[in-house]
Amino acid sequence: MRALGLPKLIRLIYRNIWVNTDPGSLIILLGLPALYLIFFGFGFQSISSGGGGHSYLAFLTPGILSFQVVMAGTVGGSVLWADRRYGMFAQLLSGPFSRLQYLLGIMLTSMLFGLGGAAVMLGVAWVLIGSGPTAPLAFGVMFGTIIVGSIFFGALMLFLGAMVKSNVAYNSIQILLIFLINFASTVFYPLSSSLPLGIQILFQINPLTYVADTVRGAYAGSLALTDVYQMLVLAAETVVVLFLAVRAYLRSELSYE
Amino acid sequence: MASPDAVVLAQELRHSYDKKRFALDGVSFSVRRGEVFGLLGKNGAGKSTLIKAMTTLIQPTSGTLRVLGMDPAREGTRIRSRIGVVQQAESFDFTTVQGNLDVYGMLWGIPRSERTKRREALLTRFGLTEIRKRRAFDISGGQKRRVQVAKEFMHDMEILFLDEPTVGLDVIMRRTLLDSIREEVRRGLTVVFTTHNLEEADYLCDRVAVIDEGKILILDTVENLKRLYGGKKTIDITVGNAHAPAFFAELSRELGPNVTVTVSGPSAVLLTDDPKAALGKIAALSQSMDAQLEWLNVRKNTLEDVFLKSVGGGGEGAGAP
Repeated sequence: MRALGLPKLIRLIYRNIWVNTDPGSLIILLGLPALYLIFFGFGFQSISSGGGGHSYLAFLTPGILSFQVVMAGTVGGSVLWADRRYGMFAQLLSGPFSRLQYLLGIMLTSMLFGLGGAAVMLGVAWVLIGSGPTAPLAFGVMFGTIIVGSIFFGALMLFLGAMVKSNVAYNSIQILLIFLINFASTVFYPLSSSLPLGIQILFQINPLTYVADTVRGAYAGSLALTDVYQMLVLAAETVVVLFLAVRAYLRSELSYE
Repeated sequence: MASPDAVVLAQELRHSYDKKRFALDGVSFSVRRGEVFGLLGKNGAGKSTLIKAMTTLIQPTSGTLRVLGMDPAREGTRIRSRIGVVQQAESFDFTTVQGNLDVYGMLWGIPRSERTKRREALLTRFGLTEIRKRRAFDISGGQKRRVQVAKEFMHDMEILFLDEPTVGLDVIMRRTLLDSIREEVRRGLTVVFTTHNLEEADYLCDRVAVIDEGKILILDTVENLKRLYGGKKTIDITVGNAHAPAFFAELSRELGPNVTVTVSGPSAVLLTDDPKAALGKIAALSQSMDAQLEWLNVRKNTLEDVFLKSVGGGGEGAGAP
């Protein structure tokens, strides 16, 4: 731990949170998922259950908890991208921090945003539904999955932040990615054989599907062996994406051009 | 031979970004503790590359570099924890002006009470009090530059590297910054400073190195550089008609090898230790060649003359060295 310079790492995380918690960012990070939960939850409730019960809301809640890992990932990518664009990347690296500390600072910030966002969504859902999971195992699996998912999407967005140098390109790619990742996953609806084959394949290769299915299993108290396999696949994908992100990050120029 | 109190020592430093051209091409120098060391040069001369190497942001292709006695390639973090850097490019966080100072102080581990004290002093010193609550991305370029320089003084350091810190600053703020640096130097800070503003270098630096195309052309104290041509004076001449090229060629020949003549279009700069004799020859020649003198001025040598002389100054021709 000494090599990581823990107090410096904490300072970097604190700084990342400090400069990313303006009201505008918080509305996007927490407000958008909460609005999905409220509008989609109640809106589709009428279709899925004819107006009675909480079935769709109960289905959607773990999906929205999982959606937080994508939002958390965008925080990580945005921190790196903005730091390069506005000179803080070179400034911090000419300060008392190593590249590894800076990278860990971003990854851990993403993770904290993922966990914090999921906790807030859990609270919102509890208010809307009136109940929620209580078993420690369920919480352990949900938050463990969200940690791994946050690392995956944090690394993915970090990769994007390291590779893309244009403001327009970065925003466009990020919006497209978020759309694809969210809507080609089991966050909003289950994987069904009635879907076109191409979309089914997208669902199955999408890491958010694994996050959503595992969190949903834990939330509903119906964890199965398939959830363990999904977690293993997610962990393996995370290692690969993390490797690519670190490589791109270490090779990235200090300044935005 | 390097001074024993050298805090920066560079020997035969070379760096290439593209393996074709050297941005640094065999640079050797040392910076002594407590001095202000200026790096003068045109745009693209290699000043920023040298700063990046000294601040551990790039690893030189070859040569030896020691900062505070340490090797930047192996002890980068230890070096960086003892230096301050003001980059040429802007750098700020997406928060208020005072937030930028606070965050930066926090990053350097300055305790909250000390941070507040330093922040308030710096906001006042750099004229930022009125805009303290404004977002840093929402202020003018000169104000951003002031924030960038001010926040570097939030932490303690042994060497401060400034890469063209006064770009975008008005005259008053430029002087405030230079005086702040002088004040810190009096307290023992060592400063390495790049600029192409020669007045600043003259005002601030103990020693300067003139760098061009990755090579150090001259390295000496400001006073020695100004004395480089003994008691020489500078004569500026502008000739207002088509006789200029022939006039300057003839003048250069008549003045002989002890007078430097740097020609640029209808104007020329003469460096001479006998301005009276030179003025006599200029007057006689202008009569005989019917050349109309539009401007004639005799003045003391400045650092700018030394700089122009050493990097060529874009002149078309010159007399003796």
